Order: sequence, then structure tokens, then C-alpha cells
Amino acid sequence: MTAAAILLVEDNPDDLELTRIALDDARLAHPLVVARDGVEALDYLFARGVHAGRDPRALPALVLLDLHLPRLDGDAVVAAIRAEPATRTLPVVALAGDPAAAVDGALAVDGYLPKPVECTRFEQVTAALGLAWQRRPPDAR
Amino acid sequence: MRASDAPADIGSDAHFRLAMASAGIGMAIVSRDGTWLNVNPALCRLLGYSREELTGRNIREVTHPDELARTAEWFAALLQGDVDSIDAEKRYRHRDGHTLWVHLNVGTMRGADGAPEYFICQLRDATAQHAAEAALRELNDTLERRVAERTAELEALNQQLELFAFGVSHDLRAPVRSIDSFSLLLEQRHAGQLDATGREYLQRIRTAVGGMGALIDGLLELARTNRAELKREPADFSLLADWVAAELQEAEPGRAAEISVQPGLRVVGDERMLKVLLGQLLQNAWKFSRGRERVEIEVGGRQDAAGLQLWVRDHGCGFDMAYAGRLFEPFQRLHGPEQGGGLGLGLAIARRIVERHGGQLGAESMPGVGSTFRITLPANAVPAA
Repeated sequence: MTAAAILLVEDNPDDLELTRIALDDARLAHPLVVARDGVEALDYLFARGVHAGRDPRALPALVLLDLHLPRLDGDAVVAAIRAEPATRTLPVVALAGDPAAAVDGALAVDGYLPKPVECTRFEQVTAALGLAWQRRPPDAR
Repeated sequence: MRASDAPADIGSDAHFRLAMASAGIGMAIVSRDGTWLNVNPALCRLLGYSREELTGRNIREVTHPDELARTAEWFAALLQGDVDSIDAEKRYRHRDGHTLWVHLNVGTMRGADGAPEYFICQLRDATAQHAAEAALRELNDTLERRVAERTAELEALNQQLELFAFGVSHDLRAPVRSIDSFSLLLEQRHAGQLDATGREYLQRIRTAVGGMGALIDGLLELARTNRAELKREPADFSLLADWVAAELQEAEPGRAAEISVQPGLRVVGDERMLKVLLGQLLQNAWKFSRGRERVEIEVGGRQDAAGLQLWVRDHGCGFDMAYAGRLFEPFQRLHGPEQGGGLGLGLAIARRIVERHGGQLGAESMPGVGSTFRITLPANAVPAA
């Protein structure tokens, strides 16, 4: 059985690649699912739209959410996630391009990661949330 | 004109009649009840009527309606002997209907018993002068309004510029982050595939993008300092200074440094901004002490009747006081990068923060000896005892 996915909601291709590198450095054995905007993200979480047919019970272990997105903004995505009982307690960490935004505290997210996402900070923030990861053995791909 | 050349009838009635007929300003003899008895050609030209049309008619008929009350008052005053003459501006109605501003002078012609018998009136066209005076009054009255409008326009323009600068800086973050991150990854993970020259070029890219990032951060900080709401809370200035000092040492663990902070300095203000302020001043002090064996900085303060004085003193390379006026302007640099000169935004940010707290930021320096940056804050920035 595969480990739960990590959902990354990011529209910037460079930030996406840097986050992928950071998670790779952490040797996470969890598949990375990418949504390019808020609509795609919610489609995935609620198994509808482009992701209709996915098993909605298989929720990701963590959502990494860029706040500045086209179509549906970060805050709207968080609000939608918190509104549904199935996803209310889903761990959501916001990715902050602007460090000042990171001290906001107004959003119902569980933590903030400054961009670019780095392996060490990722470990710190997720450990503080009580998340444990399955790892790949070293040198395995 | 020699006495012998004088016409024989000087002083005679004919002479005065000629004088009145020749005068360039309107003249008239008016009866006690206001009847035009005798009018000169200039007066006729002024009011637009012929001599026949005026003579025997009452002055009220050519007086502007709004002046009737005042005219009646004048007559009463003259007849009662309260005044001897009238000198004023009065509106008449020209024959073709338009209003005429006239400078009027009325003298009293007295009979043998001294009582007023007739009035000698002189009328001079004051339209042009009056228009000029009215225009000046209008200009003065509207001056305040126009100044306020200009100021509002300027403020709106300033806000637009700030918003633009903020927006541009904000949007530059992402591409700068890309260049910074990938050039770092190249350096850390792929430098082996580059020859020495390639690595040197990579280093130049790293340095340049570092400068770009710092500039953007500075611009955004300046914008934030200008726009953000100022929180007014008691803040421990000494603690903030210790904190910044610790951060500076942590960034350069090998550097010998002694930063002494006077304990117990308390200020009412925005803690976040005050930390940024201290960050800028202490960072400057640290940078300009580069040539010294040890970094030595003192942070102190003194309360007096006017408010609170705080200072940051270093013993670094200092600056020439001749350039002190440019010190706090954005982008002005008094030192090149070798002496520790940065992007020139730091002091502009520092000054803005102090100004927003109602205070002033000043500096004194002696080249080769050191500098002192002095913050003066008003009484409302001092916590109540």
C-alpha cells in the first residue's frame, strides 16, 4: 500500500521545482501530487472535476499551499478545506513568498514555510505538527 | 502763462461754466432732493444719457437698485450736516442696462446761511479698478481652496507612486528567488562540472542577485514603514537592542565584538518597527567598524523634560559631516562597498520609523573616530511611570 500523498498547490514552476528538490532531499517516500491552482486542489481533495474517480477517502497526509494563486486564492482554498468535516483537520502548511505574510496568523493553517522551501525548515515545521514521514533508503530513487 | 495773458474773464461765471464743460470727469450739480440740475458732457458720456434726458430727472432713476438705501442715507447725512462730503464707490445703471461702478465724490454748496443748498458731484468710472479688486479678492479667497486641492493631488500622486514601487518590488520577489535558489543549487551541487572561470562567473551571479534581493527587501521595508499602522505599546528598547546585537554576532561568530546596551530603556511605540530601526542602526555601526580590531558599540538613553533621547555610538570609520545632509536620503551612499557601504536605504528606513513615532533622527561623526546616531522622541513616546 502506498504512503499517503503530499498535495502541493503551486503555480510557479520554479517554486514547484525547488519544493520538489527539498522533499527529495528529505528522502520522503510519499508521492507528490501537484495542483496548479486552488480549483484543481479542491477537485483533488473532494474527488471531483478533473479528479473525479479518485477515492475521496484517500486524503493526503499534508497540503502545502501557496497563498497567491490564480483562479481561487489561498484563503478561499483554506476556507473550503475547513468547511468540510472530511477535510477539516487536514494538516495545511502555507508557503509564504513574503516573510511578512508569515506572521499574519489570520489564516486557519497549521503552519508557515518561507519560500524557497528548504529541507531543514520543512522537517522542523512538520515535526512540530506531529507528522512522521516514511523515508526512502539512501541512494534509492 | 503770464498774468497779462490771462483771459479777462478768469473767475467769472463763464470761466467756471467752461471749466465744468471741459472737465474730463463727470460733474453735476444736484439739488437737495436729488434732481440733476446741471450735468457736464463727461457725465453724460459716462452714464450714456443725453443732457436733456438727465436734466430735471432724479438721481435715483440712474442709481443701481442695490444702492438706493445707501444713497438715501448719504443725502440725509449731508442735509443734516453730519458730514460735509461723500467719497465712495457707487453703482449706477447705464442707459443700456449694464451696471457701472463709479467713484463718487460729493461736495456741499452752502447758501449764505451755511445750510446745504446744492451738491457738486464728481463721477469717475471705476469699473476697471473694481473688476481688478474683485478678481484679487476672489483669488485670495480661493487660494486656500486651491492649495488644499494641490496638496490632495500631490498626496494622491505620492500614494500611487508608493503603491507602484511596492507592487513592482513585490512582483520582483519571485524571479529573484528563482535566480538566487538555482544559482545556489548550481554552486552547491554542480560546481564540480564548472572550471575555475565558470565558478567565478557563478560567484558574480550569486553576489549580484544577493544585492538585488537586499534592495527589494529594503524597498518593501520602506514601503511597509510608510503604510503600516503604527502600534502604540510599551516596548523594551534595551531588550530589542540586545536581540539585534545577538543576531549580528550570530551572523559573524568569528568577529570580536562588544555591544553594551544600557538596561531599562523603555519606549512607547511599534515594537516591530523599533526592532527594524535598531537593526538598521546597529548593522551600520557594525559594518563601519570593519577596519577595527573589535566592533565596539554603545546603546544608551536619557530621559528629560522634552522626551527621550536614545543613541547608538560606534568607533568605526565615521563619515565626513559635510555630507551629513545626504545621509538619510534613500540611495545616497557615503562609503563604497569596501568600507562597508550598502544600498543606502537603511538610514532612510530608520529615519522614517523615527518620524512616524513623532521624533527626529540625527547623526554626528568624526572620520577615523566614529559616529553617533541620536534619536529624539517626544514625551508621548515615554511610558508613564
